[in-house]
Amino acid sequence: MTDDNHTPTDVPDASPEARAMTDGGTDEQARTDGGPPATVPPDDETPTWTERKERSQGLSQLTYQYFERSRREDEDLRAASTYVERDVLGFPTWPHETIRNLAISSFFVGIMLLVSALLPPHFGDPANPGVTPAIILPDWYLYWSFGLLHLDPINPELAVLGGDKVMSDELYGLVAHGVIFGILGLVPFLNKGSARRPVEEPFWAGLGVAGVIFSVTLGVLAIQNLVPIELDLLLNLVFLLPVLGGIITYAVLKTMREGYMYDLNRRYYMLRPPK
Amino acid sequence: MSLKKQDEMDHNAWLKSQDLTVIETAFLTTLIWLDKRLRIVDYLELLETMYYRANLQMPKSHTEQYDLDNKFWYWYPLYSLGSLSILAYLVAAVSGALLGFYYSPSTAGAVAQGDPTAAYDSVIEIMQDVQFGFMLRSIHRWSAQFMVAAVFLHMLRVYFTGSYKEPREVNWILGIVLIGLTLLFGFTGYVLPWKQLSFWAAQIGVEMALATPLVGEWAAQLLFGGFTLGQATLVRMYILHVFILPFVVTALIALHVGIVWVQGIAEPH
Repeated sequence: MTDDNHTPTDVPDASPEARAMTDGGTDEQARTDGGPPATVPPDDETPTWTERKERSQGLSQLTYQYFERSRREDEDLRAASTYVERDVLGFPTWPHETIRNLAISSFFVGIMLLVSALLPPHFGDPANPGVTPAIILPDWYLYWSFGLLHLDPINPELAVLGGDKVMSDELYGLVAHGVIFGILGLVPFLNKGSARRPVEEPFWAGLGVAGVIFSVTLGVLAIQNLVPIELDLLLNLVFLLPVLGGIITYAVLKTMREGYMYDLNRRYYMLRPPK
Repeated sequence: MSLKKQDEMDHNAWLKSQDLTVIETAFLTTLIWLDKRLRIVDYLELLETMYYRANLQMPKSHTEQYDLDNKFWYWYPLYSLGSLSILAYLVAAVSGALLGFYYSPSTAGAVAQGDPTAAYDSVIEIMQDVQFGFMLRSIHRWSAQFMVAAVFLHMLRVYFTGSYKEPREVNWILGIVLIGLTLLFGFTGYVLPWKQLSFWAAQIGVEMALATPLVGEWAAQLLFGGFTLGQATLVRMYILHVFILPFVVTALIALHVGIVWVQGIAEPH
């Protein structure tokens, strides 16, 4: 008797699928509407990750093997690390971070509007191809580039060529651009490691300061006819000042380094005492 | 098989059986209407994920986590320079689009050498006749200056904090490309008013292009439309400035930020 109570009595209302299966007594053979598509393979025929790896050859197999290694490496690192789960410690994106970002953004846009209102841009004479102006200058951010084009006094002349220059002065300036961008692009391939502070790497910090000063002195070279210094002296300064600045930076950081690193290490080991 | 749809759900009857307010009814009716046409239900999971993403908490940075910002690392304001340059780029884009309504890239109208051209006159018109035009040009110019300055300082920050190091070399090189394109943006914009300084800056550009071996003449024709400056130069600078560079730079900025997102901020240790 109790078993009868558990048997479903509302079969006609059960589900669309159940109704469809009992619809009009149709069976598989009698169907004329095609039925389910026959081209889709059953799920268990889809190769698993491991099967794909086993089946594949050559480069794709190597790829799979590397991915597996890389994943294992990640897992090992994660297991070994003392990393604290951080997303419970932070501020919510909404509203805290959003409002903070909006505040910073509107402050910055406001500064831009203020400066535009206070310092309207200058507007010069119309173009005249017939008259070369006394001062030709790009915007300030291209002064360094314009300075590189003024390096023609140090374009070497070869005695073998009878005092001729190997390349034209314009090409010399272009090559200088290539050298600058090339050095910039090489930086991450030359300097590796986990150091993040100038004080940890005085050489690279010195190089950076030299670069910054060089861009400024090149800018001065670009406006050489406005600078009351003889060209020879100016050219020497253009190259010597960056070196000087770099050396001073290097010396200062090297001197600071010991005390600074002591403080840094003390703080670090206070936070994470050695096991 | 009967022709009647088998799994038709009577949503309206279900709606009526519920005791709903007007707002709820309107919402559900709209939702059902849209879902019948666009199968929103298929995207519901994505929407859910987005909802929870928006309510996620930002991870604390290293210095926040250990409460070190006062002494440990005091360069954090400089970490906002990248987003500041994007912001300046957006302001320049909006003001530039408005300026584009009034500017005409044409050297027509100059009878003698040194006469103002149509391009020059249109900038004068913007500054003198258009409502708010002077301010608009000022905003465009200054936001460009801010963007270049922020980009330069951003590069210095990345250099001096060692953020370019392995595994972030690709993004550093992408950044160098972006700086170059930003400078090109500035150069092309400098030429557009066709003032005396614009003309002679472009002249130097042509001379530089012509000095390049092998590809020089080809590059001069491609970028400046010939070996002497004129209408072709102005139009090419204009198309570079308002059509090609915006697409390229926006795409590269998106890639640049996307890589930062994937790789994470290079925090001081």
